[in-house]
Amino acid sequence: MSVKTEEVIKLKDLPKGDARCPGAPSTQDIIAADTVKAPGWVCSESYQFLGDEDIPTDRYTDPAYAKRELDTLWKKTWQFACREEHIAEVGDYYVYDLGHYSFIITRVAENEIRAYYNACLHRGTKLRASGTDGNAEEFKCSFHGWSWNLDGTHKSTTCDWDFPHVDSKKFSLPQARVARLGGFVFINMDPVAPSLEDYLGPEALSHIKAWKLEDRYVYLHVSKRIPANWKLTIEAFMEAYHVIETHPQVAPSNGDANSQYDIYGEHVDRFISTLGVVSPHLYGQVSEQDILNQFTLGDSSALGDTKFTLKDGGTARSVMAEMFRSMFEKATNTDLSKVSDSELLDCFSYTVFPNTFLFPGISLPMVYRFRPDRHDHRKCLYEVLFLRPVPVDGKRPVPAMPIHLEDHQSFTEAAGMDPGFGAILDQDTENLILQQEGVEASAKKGLTLGNYQEIRVRHFNRALDKYVGKSSG
Amino acid sequence: MTDQTEPAPSAEGAYTRFCAVTELPPESKKAVRIGSHWILVCHTEGRYYAVSNICSHATRPLMMGRVRHCTITCPVHGARFNLESGAALNLPATKPIATYPVRIVDDWIEVML
Repeated sequence: MSVKTEEVIKLKDLPKGDARCPGAPSTQDIIAADTVKAPGWVCSESYQFLGDEDIPTDRYTDPAYAKRELDTLWKKTWQFACREEHIAEVGDYYVYDLGHYSFIITRVAENEIRAYYNACLHRGTKLRASGTDGNAEEFKCSFHGWSWNLDGTHKSTTCDWDFPHVDSKKFSLPQARVARLGGFVFINMDPVAPSLEDYLGPEALSHIKAWKLEDRYVYLHVSKRIPANWKLTIEAFMEAYHVIETHPQVAPSNGDANSQYDIYGEHVDRFISTLGVVSPHLYGQVSEQDILNQFTLGDSSALGDTKFTLKDGGTARSVMAEMFRSMFEKATNTDLSKVSDSELLDCFSYTVFPNTFLFPGISLPMVYRFRPDRHDHRKCLYEVLFLRPVPVDGKRPVPAMPIHLEDHQSFTEAAGMDPGFGAILDQDTENLILQQEGVEASAKKGLTLGNYQEIRVRHFNRALDKYVGKSSG
Repeated sequence: MTDQTEPAPSAEGAYTRFCAVTELPPESKKAVRIGSHWILVCHTEGRYYAVSNICSHATRPLMMGRVRHCTITCPVHGARFNLESGAALNLPATKPIATYPVRIVDDWIEVML
């Protein structure tokens, strides 16, 4: 992109954080020109400059820091444990693990969900194996057969004559707190943590409620171990700044350098990255037809092999919105008539601290979750869940079974994964291997961030500092 | 979801009537004792699967277990098995359960013992 000298001088004079991509329309300019107008949560901005000092790198490399995270951060924050549809029936359960922590998330009544610490109160055996789900009338230990009712009360002790010192009333399963929002079940181990609503704050909460993600279901769930610290991995998904170098195939149809970044309170931030428009890096090099040809979706299955062509005077973005709306409605039996062009096409990436990404768009309808590998702080477990609107007939499909990829496998090998999207995730993974090794090799012990495009990384690290501290020392 | 006992044992290595097709609508299951076998047939996602009704972990019945994605989860301790191969998919089970060939003949579900 070419920038005039006088424009650079003006930008340099701006207060820190006020500069935006020169010569490009803003995200809000692009969305304002759409045919079907966007709702309020799209058409707002909430950026704040948060400083420009380096981020210390020992947090990505020091096992002591990872251990402290387990004792502080993970014990005090709200974490996405499962979707409500994973435990749709009374007695359904889903085991959620974080490090050495493990919880049985279970529906104890039609409208009540609880999270039990997953360990027998006799000699500690896990009541359900990690990574499992199912349905139970009771939770019975496989070692000596002690059992608990669905509501967590102690049900039976094998040979209870030998345990006169056990007061059954005091042997209920300990619980973590549970909160439900948008079809997601969150848990928090801290009994004095703020409510999920206060944790998210009023504005972010209003956005999440507006999406009605409770009306979607998981149609694809893929997980893979990534050879990098969980925080480096999360940060790789927080900005569109890397698109031009890491995902050049996407840039012809992505407003990357003019994406919008916002922060909401301490725990939520987002970017809006428009699709169906050319990257400012490629102005003058790409036609509107090129943009259509390069369009990348997270869920392109409804489109089949359809190739789109421009109408006279039309833009790639408007053609894509119109065609995608009608074809996706037909393929998935859903009603998108009131959904804006922006919600249909654009990438809305929200982070709920510490480890969940929500993408409320239709073409890019993902949820990401990142968890540290309990045995190696230099690795993490990455999951991507794709959500689709529940069919208009109201019949909710059973959530997809997770596909666990081996370390050497490509994301494109997961059945149902859009090939273009899988290739993007592979490119991110390849960088992360080099970044983890580079951070450890570097003579410079801090990461330097852009004031605007990398504000989410800084925002994330500020929250990290609050819970864990600034360094491992 | 039912459990029945078939009075007359049938020959090993031959297909034996399990129940009428109408007795096992989509997304249901039924356990029947045939001779020394206790067989569970699951009708799920458009297919029939016949497996042993006895969990390989602690020999409890699987009949009340949740069926999803071609697997059944033991309701007692949570072991899960692939309905097609019988393979144990998670602790506390490590050994497979028996599987049986199943076919539909003249509106009857038949399994091979």
